[in-house]
Amino acid sequence: MTSVATPSSRPPGDSGYHHLTPLFAEFAALPPHHRRRSQLRDRLVEGHLPVAQHIARRFAHRGEPLDDLEQVATLGLINAVDRFEPDRGVDFLSYAVPTITGEVRRHFRDQGWAMRVPRSLKDLHVTIGTAMSELSQQLGRAPTATELSVHLNMPREQVVEGLEAANAYRGKSLDSMLGDGDGTSGTLADAIGTADSELERVEYREALKPLLAELPERERTILMLRFFGNMTQTQIAERVGISQMHVSRLLSQTLAGLRNGLASG
Amino acid sequence: MTGFDFLHALDEARTPARGAEVYIEVGARPAQVAPVRVVAADLAARADFDLDAVSDLRMAVDEACSTLATLAPPGARLRCRIEVDLDRITVTARITGPGSAVISRNTFGWRVLHTLTDKVEVLARDETETSSLGIRLIKERRTGAA
Repeated sequence: MTSVATPSSRPPGDSGYHHLTPLFAEFAALPPHHRRRSQLRDRLVEGHLPVAQHIARRFAHRGEPLDDLEQVATLGLINAVDRFEPDRGVDFLSYAVPTITGEVRRHFRDQGWAMRVPRSLKDLHVTIGTAMSELSQQLGRAPTATELSVHLNMPREQVVEGLEAANAYRGKSLDSMLGDGDGTSGTLADAIGTADSELERVEYREALKPLLAELPERERTILMLRFFGNMTQTQIAERVGISQMHVSRLLSQTLAGLRNGLASG
Repeated sequence: MTGFDFLHALDEARTPARGAEVYIEVGARPAQVAPVRVVAADLAARADFDLDAVSDLRMAVDEACSTLATLAPPGARLRCRIEVDLDRITVTARITGPGSAVISRNTFGWRVLHTLTDKVEVLARDETETSSLGIRLIKERRTGAA
């Protein structure tokens, strides 16, 4: 992958984002759980969407649907907004363009081995996701494949295939990324506090802490609640306000990332 | 509900996977463990474990196999046996060949394995000395509400 544009190749209309610059300082100055943070975050992400779309288009016609590329690029943009430090003296685009480009490149690398999933299976994935949250509410735990097949009146084999597709399909729902902001309500903050004190009991936590600090807030929250807060994925899904499938996917990705980080550190 | 027989579906669902014993062998390299976790998760879903348990098992297998692969000498193989019983799934993963690597139980990785499974143990050199190191995971079927 050497043909990809360099970070210096800016999208056109670069100067069209100046009005957003002051928002970064305000965003960075707010405490983590401040209500206004998620408003500002949405405005910053939405305001810079053309940058993400521009980068996604540069990677079009290489075998991945443009919709997926735009989602991945937008995810990169969200990460860039979350991690950008305005007082470093670098402007946002200089930071965001390589971050977003890196995210799209990683998507291609991951797709190199991930299965290609037909459209109908992606739709099935959505159907199953909806059924899972309904059944989890009823049962107080995650359903089984048979319970899903009965609920959906669908052959069990089809459900199992849909579940496999859910794991092969590594894209993230844009709505859920934008929808739930920091994801830290009061009770959630309490749960994280308990998890934090559990973390103190792990040896090598000194190697782990800087890696945890680099994670996006939601990924860190989910990881802490699962491994130090003794909550199931279904319980975490309910607390954080995303689907169990999404929790599962984020946890798997975060664990793999930490493994690489710990191995190289 | 139009003619969907729940009990029949349940019976049909659990029968094929129950008592299954599946072997998978891959190169002992982190990039090659994906098929192992996919098969383990598929067997768990087919055996009608709840989907939290399926996802936990998938991550645990990934963690265990990646750990072993990282410790394996060059050219080693990763041999896995997955046994599906009525109440539990047991995954035994071993790396082949000689070696003196050990697995520390104080790490975050061990915490992960411990949280995701009901039982996890390190396996020392086996009787026939074809393997120097392994990990065994047990995931039990939960019954009723969480």
